[in-house]
Amino acid sequence: MLGNPQLRIFRPTFNLTLVRPGKEQPPDTVQFRIPLEMTKFDVRNYLEKIYSVPVAAVRTRIQYCTNKKRNHLNQRVKRPDYKVAYVQLAQQQTFQFPDIFPEKDQKHEEGSVEEMQEKFMEDERQRQKSDPRRGGVTEWFGL
Amino acid sequence: MSAAVASRLTAVCRQFQRVLTVSSHTQTQYATRAFSTFHSCQQSRMYDSWCFRSPMNNRAVHTSCVRKGLEEFFDLPENWGEQTVKSGAPWTAKQLRVKSNEDLHKLWYVFLKEKNMLLTLEQEAKRQRLPMPSPERLKKVERSMKRLDTVVEEREDSLRLLQTGQERGRPGEWRRNVFGKTFWYRFREHPIPWYLNSRYKRRRFFEPSHVAPYTRLSLEKYLRSKIRKEKREKRNQKSLAAMFPKKTALASDH
Repeated sequence: MLGNPQLRIFRPTFNLTLVRPGKEQPPDTVQFRIPLEMTKFDVRNYLEKIYSVPVAAVRTRIQYCTNKKRNHLNQRVKRPDYKVAYVQLAQQQTFQFPDIFPEKDQKHEEGSVEEMQEKFMEDERQRQKSDPRRGGVTEWFGL
Repeated sequence: MSAAVASRLTAVCRQFQRVLTVSSHTQTQYATRAFSTFHSCQQSRMYDSWCFRSPMNNRAVHTSCVRKGLEEFFDLPENWGEQTVKSGAPWTAKQLRVKSNEDLHKLWYVFLKEKNMLLTLEQEAKRQRLPMPSPERLKKVERSMKRLDTVVEEREDSLRLLQTGQERGRPGEWRRNVFGKTFWYRFREHPIPWYLNSRYKRRRFFEPSHVAPYTRLSLEKYLRSKIRKEKREKRNQKSLAAMFPKKTALASDH
């Protein structure tokens, strides 16, 4: 056997970010933002060993981000580059990016500041509305 | 015949052990979620010490081991859409030093998964142009990971010192660069010796003779600033002593 032993990392510092795809992707494809130093093999091993997700294929590309923006001192500000990985799941699994920010009815607790604010806003909105008996006719029309 | 049976038994036992260790590793991660769903006060992600007091003994509380891996990139579904998510204090180095190496190894992966989840949440919040709920969780996880790193490094350093007497893991030495500055040069691994490495030979680790005056000047500057600092300190102490002479303290005693 030639060469050094296989590189094993005991406590990986790589962070994977699952992102919603900008363009429509096939149902079995998951899109990640990964550090620039990671490779396809690293992504496959990471997902299989740590998350036990069966991976069929991984494709990567590097997204170059602009160095053109300037700050208030007219210095060029670089937006950091990142690598995008398109992971295709094995065993015919599908993945749909979920809606993480659904609308929820805010039930504020009794006597809190937010509840008083909400009540105040509701009263203001009620006052701004015109008289319903006029049937949608504007105030400046008529007597 | 009996030998074959015995060997097969040992192989099966080893497989069981492996399955158990894997399941126990995953259980520690899911133990946190099981606890959080069980608690009446919706506290998810309580990374205080209680989370690891009894990681393996909660099989009765546990719901199920098998979960789709990609669900771990997201928070519990109850927390989707909330404005704030409660979380506990970060781990301190003192709490981490009590843990064994296996526990620390597992905890590192717990932190890693939590950080991945928070980064996913942050990116989705930026995409939807909404505020991220409780962004301080990211800082807490980062600090906990840094402290874990520190503890592991401490243990590795002490082991290495005891076993070999080496102070550093990576060999190096003090060298002088072209600008006359002395710095710690860390060795790299090469497949060929240095005298065959043309790029290394172009790198000069000595100070040319015309640079020596500038080294002397920077040394003088450094010494001057040091002496000025000491003199300033002495002057301050003198003026303080003039403002608050010692005999008043003694006079008040009498």
